[in-house]
Amino acid sequence: MKKTKYMMSGGLAFSEQKDMEKLHKKSLKGWHVKSFKFMGYELEYGEKEDVIYNIDYRVLEEDEKEEYMEFFSSAGWTHVCSEANMHLFKAPSNTTPIYSDKDSKVEKYQRLGKLINGAAGVLLVASIAFFLLSIITTGTFKDIARIGFFGVLALTVPAMMTAAAVYYQKLRLKI
Amino acid sequence: MKQIEQLTDSVFYIMAALSNPRHGYAVMALIEETTKGTVNIGPASMYTIIKKLLQQELIYLYDDSDSRRKTYLLTQKGREVLREDIERRKVMIQLAENGLKEEQE
Repeated sequence: MKKTKYMMSGGLAFSEQKDMEKLHKKSLKGWHVKSFKFMGYELEYGEKEDVIYNIDYRVLEEDEKEEYMEFFSSAGWTHVCSEANMHLFKAPSNTTPIYSDKDSKVEKYQRLGKLINGAAGVLLVASIAFFLLSIITTGTFKDIARIGFFGVLALTVPAMMTAAAVYYQKLRLKI
Repeated sequence: MKQIEQLTDSVFYIMAALSNPRHGYAVMALIEETTKGTVNIGPASMYTIIKKLLQQELIYLYDDSDSRRKTYLLTQKGREVLREDIERRKVMIQLAENGLKEEQE
């Protein structure tokens, strides 16, 4: 069994660059990403290597995957893992970044924004629905609606913060 | 998605390379070779731009028999857009060259 350990993510929407830099430093010490793990990464111990990490967000159709991966591998990037439309790649530290121009980088955050805005929107509608339900109902239904409201709200707030963070990233790139 | 009006340098390079049928890696390699390594297009940028050009019908899927290495080619519309941008860039270069010449005289 190889030694593994968990590294928590700072939240990709908030600190993608910091995450990538942290992973780079870990690799210098011999810890390499094996896979995404709940809110973070699973690292595996091995040879010390100077590798950098880049992440892409993209919805890929089944017939697009092979070509997409081929683009990266022929440019020197090794696919590490994918989950929920996030794709993590690594390469020797002098490799050209996967995004080399501003326009396509802005579009990267637009795609991420769309994914998150969708989720945040659904949650927002759900929390409003529970709130209204808790007003118009009485007794047990009111209690259930209240619990539902706070439960969904606990997810809505971070989702909306994430959406705001992505929007900010996008804005910063455009200036 | 916003229509490409003025082609960015990356888009210009990629469209120029697709005046002949080429797959993604061949495009990247051609650009790197022609510019002696001064211009490198990252794979995610490349993929984004190819998808955008397809959507705007400036290029089309020429051959997908190899699913890893699909080839693309400029459409008639793509050729026109590229020609227009060449003219725009010529004006830029002429302005700069004339300016430098006048300075020398």
